[in-house]
Amino acid sequence: MRPRNKCELMTNLRRFGEPRLRGKYLFISRIKSGRLKDLVDYLHWRLGGYYSTSIGVDERPLDGYFHVYHVFVLEKYGVYVLVDLPANPGHPVVESITPIVPAANWAEREIMDFIGIKFRAHPEPHRLILPDDWPDNVYPLRKDFPYDEKLPTSDKIAKLVRESPSDTWIAEDSEDHTAIPVGPYHPALHEPEYFELFVEGEKIVDARYKGFMVHRGIEKIAESRLTYNQVPFIAERICGICGFTHSTAYCQAVEEAARIDVPERAEYIRSILLEIERIHSHFLWMGVAFHLLGYDTGFMIMWRLRESIMDLAEKLTGSRKMYGANIVGGIRDKWDIKEEKVALINDTLGKIREEYLKYVPKIISMEEIKKRTRGVGILSRSDARKYSVLGPHARASGINTDVRRYRPYAAYKYVDVEIPVEDDGDIYARIIIRHEEIIASIDLIHRLLDNIPRTHLHADTDYIPERRYGIGCTEAPRGEDLHFVITGKDNKLYRWRPRAPTYNNLLSVPTMLRGEHLADAPIIIASIDPCFSCTDHIVVVDLRSGRRRPLRTGGLVGGR
Amino acid sequence: MKLYRRSLWVFHLNSGSCNGCDIEILNALAPRQDAERLGVKLVGSPRHADAILFTGPVTREALPSVVRAIQAVPEPKIVLAVGACACGGGIWHDSYCVLGGIQGLYRVLKSMGITPPKTFFVPGCPPKPEAIIQGILLARGLVRQKQVRSEYYEEQALAEKAEVDLHRLFHKYFWVRVPPEAARVKYGVAYY
Repeated sequence: MRPRNKCELMTNLRRFGEPRLRGKYLFISRIKSGRLKDLVDYLHWRLGGYYSTSIGVDERPLDGYFHVYHVFVLEKYGVYVLVDLPANPGHPVVESITPIVPAANWAEREIMDFIGIKFRAHPEPHRLILPDDWPDNVYPLRKDFPYDEKLPTSDKIAKLVRESPSDTWIAEDSEDHTAIPVGPYHPALHEPEYFELFVEGEKIVDARYKGFMVHRGIEKIAESRLTYNQVPFIAERICGICGFTHSTAYCQAVEEAARIDVPERAEYIRSILLEIERIHSHFLWMGVAFHLLGYDTGFMIMWRLRESIMDLAEKLTGSRKMYGANIVGGIRDKWDIKEEKVALINDTLGKIREEYLKYVPKIISMEEIKKRTRGVGILSRSDARKYSVLGPHARASGINTDVRRYRPYAAYKYVDVEIPVEDDGDIYARIIIRHEEIIASIDLIHRLLDNIPRTHLHADTDYIPERRYGIGCTEAPRGEDLHFVITGKDNKLYRWRPRAPTYNNLLSVPTMLRGEHLADAPIIIASIDPCFSCTDHIVVVDLRSGRRRPLRTGGLVGGR
Repeated sequence: MKLYRRSLWVFHLNSGSCNGCDIEILNALAPRQDAERLGVKLVGSPRHADAILFTGPVTREALPSVVRAIQAVPEPKIVLAVGACACGGGIWHDSYCVLGGIQGLYRVLKSMGITPPKTFFVPGCPPKPEAIIQGILLARGLVRQKQVRSEYYEEQALAEKAEVDLHRLFHKYFWVRVPPEAARVKYGVAYY
């Protein structure tokens, strides 16, 4: 039976370890030996919560141990559960939870890469993020590694140049695979993500993902070089589409840790900018989805509409993309939304809404679009739970989750947020969800503007105490952004771990691809909104003939 | 740039950028700016391209692919470094797994004995679509460089000169275009 309140939850958790409640955070430390798997099973599968992410921290300077924190979100009890697993620096090994929760696969491998903690019984303990030529036993997120140390690159590059173009990137060739270079190039990146599809004729049998080419060492830079109020800038540059939601999540995490109250007006302005960002991101996605479905007129319509939103953002913040508005404790003074700007926003959004409703309902009710998307790329509800998918992707599979409603932040505390949910789990459901969210967002901005209060724009943030934990969550256009911080000395962070929603959503892509037609692969991959045109570089491996050929979406949808 | 009198086909090469510049590049091709009216076409393969629109600070992981793609573009070729990251590494310039923009990449290319292609810089984080289009037009020779100071990166040399160049000061403060001969620089291009 599920516990009814936090008290009962605490009692139940004592079976597994020592729970401590600190505000919203429920730490479970000193897990009894052999009970970790039961605990994770209980949290993820029985309590109605879900696994969010794992964080590895080098806390040797503080208490002499490495730590792994598995974060579970229990929306029903309003707490984040942090399962604390210390690892001895001499022999850093902890038990893996991936066999119970497949969603933890990447997060654990990331910790193996960065901190050097080994996970016992992990199903695929290979390198995930660091480049192939990175030396073994060098772990960049340990505190003794300087952030600007540039290790020499291996002779791989020189080798690449010497060899002929056809045989390097398909290096795994053996008797059953033949390399067929189509076009002289294929390694190049449009957006650096890389899928390998295994096909039988036209049917996809399996898919493999290789990514993380954008690893730029953001966490290390923030921990070593930047101060609290500089980090929001780098947080915005995590993603060029949904940057502001990252900087908001970061600020919220620090505000949580330091217990800073943000003035109401700042919360409203954050929410308004977040919704503007959501609208432009969904417009962008819709355009790309139509393009991949072969309907380029739709692409052009969406991108033309999107320009008015970008103009609006520029008038409000001075920049089309990187708003730069957030500081810890509120909003910068010049980013205030004054009377005349309120009228401007209302006008612009009214026009956009009118024009949007003129086109898009017609487009998405077209038979061609429906036939291409209905019943394609289905992710069932149970699979969605298994991979902890987030945001519109989860809502299209019938999971009613939204940070804005269930863990309200910023000004979402004061207004009602409409959350569309669909049960089909196919691509059409994802289109419908995003369509309804655009309209809901426009209405939401109008309501926020009506109620915007007159207060200060930022709180006093003279002193941020050391070694406090904070988690900031926002609902990005693609799902839940989670930022975990530990505060440190000298106006700097001790540890910062942002987790973007695509991190969880991408894990579900192979499941959706299995059994589908090859021609549908681009739209299936794009349907999770994986930060744009990642569908571009796919290698197709034909299992029957053993042939490999690179595939670009350009080839599938008739060129760009 | 007599070579590129006609349509310039560009290949978009992302070396680990945050998507900001990449989407502004697409914005430049979308209906508002519509770069295709100027003959600019985004192509899917570097073998078809005349120019590379280069974004991102060049991460270690992406380096081999980037080198391969640049090599695959037939000569003569030009590179447009779009965005702060591509121009000089941006906020990531000294990170452990970033080469530091296109100049870091060119150091690697030179060490391998490859001459880097001619490069135009479009700074900004992200640059507006208009700036990207201007960069392209500059490469095609349709507009002149609005450069106000030619020794942009050479503060030392400027200090050594000591004498005040009245002519240049005039151009600096009254926004008059400098003739292209005077505007030749080692790397930097400043747009105002």
